[in-house]
Amino acid sequence: MTTTLDPSAAQAPAATRRRPTGGGLGSYVLVRFLLIVPTVFILVTMVFFVMRATGDPITAALGGRLPADQLAERIHQAGYDRPLLVQYLEYLGQVFRGDFGRTLSDNRAVTTVLVEHGTATLELVVFAVLVAIVVGIPLGLVAGYFRDRGQDAALRVLAILFYATPVFFAGIVSKLVFSVWLRWLPVSGRASSRPQIELQTLKDPTGIYLVDAIRTGEPAVIGDVLTHLVQPALVLGLVTAGVFLRLVRTNIIGTLGTDYVTSGRSRGVGEMRLVRKHALRPALIPIVTVMGMQIAMMLGGAVLTETTFEWRGLGFMLAQYLSARDFVAVQGIVALLAVIVAVTNFLVDIVAALIDPRVRY
Amino acid sequence: MLSASQRRRTLAIAAGFAATTLLVTACSSGGSSENPSGSAGGESSAAGGGAGGSLIVGTTDKVTHLDPAGSYDNGSLQVQVNVFPYLLGTDYQSTDVVPDLAESAEFTAPDAYTVKLPAGLKWANGHDLTSSDVKFTFDRQLAIFASGADDGNGPGSLLYNLDSVEAPDDTTVVFHLKSQYDQVFPLILTSFPGAIVDEEVFAADAITPDDDIVAANAFGGPYAITSYSFNQLVQYKANPNYQGLLAAPLTDEVNVQYYDESSNLKLAVQEGDVDVAFRSLSATDIGDLRNNPDVKVVDGPGGEIRYVVFNFDTQPYGAKTPEADPAKALAVRQAVADLVDRSAISEQVYQGTYTPLYSYVPAGFAGATEVLKDLYGDGNGGPDADKATKVLADAGVATPVTLNIQYSNDHYGPSSGDEYALVKDQLESSGLFTVNLQTTEWVQYSKDRTADVYPVYQLGWFPDYSDADNYLTPFFLTDNFLSNHFSDPAVDELIGKQAVTVDPAERQKIIEDIQAKVAAQLSTLPLLQGAQVAVVRTDVSGADTTLDGSFKFRFAALSKG
Repeated sequence: MTTTLDPSAAQAPAATRRRPTGGGLGSYVLVRFLLIVPTVFILVTMVFFVMRATGDPITAALGGRLPADQLAERIHQAGYDRPLLVQYLEYLGQVFRGDFGRTLSDNRAVTTVLVEHGTATLELVVFAVLVAIVVGIPLGLVAGYFRDRGQDAALRVLAILFYATPVFFAGIVSKLVFSVWLRWLPVSGRASSRPQIELQTLKDPTGIYLVDAIRTGEPAVIGDVLTHLVQPALVLGLVTAGVFLRLVRTNIIGTLGTDYVTSGRSRGVGEMRLVRKHALRPALIPIVTVMGMQIAMMLGGAVLTETTFEWRGLGFMLAQYLSARDFVAVQGIVALLAVIVAVTNFLVDIVAALIDPRVRY
Repeated sequence: MLSASQRRRTLAIAAGFAATTLLVTACSSGGSSENPSGSAGGESSAAGGGAGGSLIVGTTDKVTHLDPAGSYDNGSLQVQVNVFPYLLGTDYQSTDVVPDLAESAEFTAPDAYTVKLPAGLKWANGHDLTSSDVKFTFDRQLAIFASGADDGNGPGSLLYNLDSVEAPDDTTVVFHLKSQYDQVFPLILTSFPGAIVDEEVFAADAITPDDDIVAANAFGGPYAITSYSFNQLVQYKANPNYQGLLAAPLTDEVNVQYYDESSNLKLAVQEGDVDVAFRSLSATDIGDLRNNPDVKVVDGPGGEIRYVVFNFDTQPYGAKTPEADPAKALAVRQAVADLVDRSAISEQVYQGTYTPLYSYVPAGFAGATEVLKDLYGDGNGGPDADKATKVLADAGVATPVTLNIQYSNDHYGPSSGDEYALVKDQLESSGLFTVNLQTTEWVQYSKDRTADVYPVYQLGWFPDYSDADNYLTPFFLTDNFLSNHFSDPAVDELIGKQAVTVDPAERQKIIEDIQAKVAAQLSTLPLLQGAQVAVVRTDVSGADTTLDGSFKFRFAALSKG
């Protein structure tokens, strides 16, 4: 799902621009919300059939370890010898009820895995987005303002480096520099052993370590969690920061050349005010619209980042369960990721509709 | 200088952030740490059995299940040996099986093995630990194995000779065995299925979830688990109710951090994030750490072996090939044995972390001989191409012989590829063989190898218990675990005989005879024996104590400072 832009509206003079009539914001939101259902449905369906194309989950996970008769018995008990369509409909029913079954490799409720490790991924992605915004937007502003000058050239190269460097490679280099050579940051994980024990034994933990660390009220625990967060968030966030940098630069160049900015400059509006208030703000609108897509990409990048830093989120577990051929777990994780991406895009569409006058609804 | 509206906006943004953080924090039902000491659940706290202090152990092992009926892997065993009681065991640096939780254990009839428990034993949760728990433990092992409720992961197959268990009173357990004077059964009691469990907590016919076991504090070993995050972080505290063979733990609290990548484990011990790294660091990493002044590399005896399996049906000239000829098939196996250079593999691929193996029963076990060194190669462990050439020529085998060798790229470590590339090179450089080297992912590999798909293939073995029997019975009985169609009634008879021979010297002689017979036929070709290696920070001691022939890494021996 992407935001609908009307190019003709974007090019129309501001004074004559008028929001086209339609069903109003309410129906726009409703339509976008309803579109989540087929999106998730298609993704879940694809995952189901792609997984089953390689055989049933029991054989994949346990084949070679159980005698053939016991394996057949287990397959029968689990119902994997029934027609695929019947299994599919049953699976859809389970998903609809929020029951993703139990993992085959370690016999855990998939919902437990999703909750336990989903919070880790959520924490990582939130901070990665923060890194992307804090790094990408100001640098994009600087690059656009100093168009075709030394600063711009340097920042463009930096942007390419950010989004062209493979996440796992950036992670390894980062660990080498900050963990091994400089010894500033921990090698891997979400917390050191002792703080982690403290977080594990916290009453009703959220699973978001920074929040839990704040609840302990111990600066050492908070500091430990933050230092573990720095490298993975940077590595994952800088990829998106590179995209933001390029996007903001391009838009700043565009808005700095518009009539209203020229007019403001001729009226003696200060340069800083002109850039921040008149040029940057409209240049940020596209950032919101690409945010949904970037979060989807971040979830993909999280698999590599989490594996590199042993950040035990959904990406890390997805890699683990894939190597164990635990299709039940993989189906559950991918379905959740699909929901996250669909919901994120929905929210982005709503925000874009609210802030971007070019969006028609 | 900020304008008034800018200041308001800045304040609003700051307030928004603060409010969000507070809201999330508040919504998570505010609280401080439930228990600063980390005790989690259970009816009684399991602290205070040790001498104080704490340390962190790092590992790349994985736990399948805490429940001893649901796991048959080293990662789970390393947890179980520290938290569950065993009737019999071995003391540090000893391979002699002696009473552990038990007071005494002996054959009271040819097919009855009687174990006496001390009175007044308690689990860490305060439940009574009696013979009823022991009977329950073994009954459920057999039931779960028979029903397949262990998903093929359980160790019930090791109880093949157990007929039934009787508990005539609270402190007496009688094991009724299928064969008489089974000398292996006491060894099995020290191993995977021997962990005793609390009958008030564990299910009789199903695997008990890890969280239920931890919540019930159902532990009786030197340590109890007080905080558990599956394959992430486990906290152990000394169990004050432990009354087994080992002395009280030297360290009160042990935290085990699980790593996925051995490179991260190496960095963690190098940087002091963990105090002990045990399993599994690569040979390169161990070599690197040997030169690091901040850590000590501790080597211990190793029972792991790596070997080549010949499928007697499908190998060149095998029984089910068009050119079937037992004499030629034997010559091919013998020529391979003449050509492999184990020392080169040990040094070039494993940097000495695996040593050449010339015996079926590896060094360190009673009955170990170097029978293969005498029979094949140059007689000193090195290769001999002339001898291989003669063997093949005498049998009338046309050369080069094409060998399809399979290895697993994901089950026996990342160096398997290098290992078998070197084997291929050694065989081909003689001009006698053309080797097609192929690799398959383990899940498929484990199915294919027993379905006669691979004529020659790689396997490895880690002992279930510390005895020569565990290197013979699974491999060389007819219908063995290898499914490679090797069968020799004389070997079957000798294997059966050694298992029930009480006199140690007589038994050792039989074990040597078995190896001589097998070496002549080469059902398998042993290549390497692995050492146990732990890397510890310089202020940690005790790793050399626990790295022994039991192959159990017992935290009770470790201390720091």
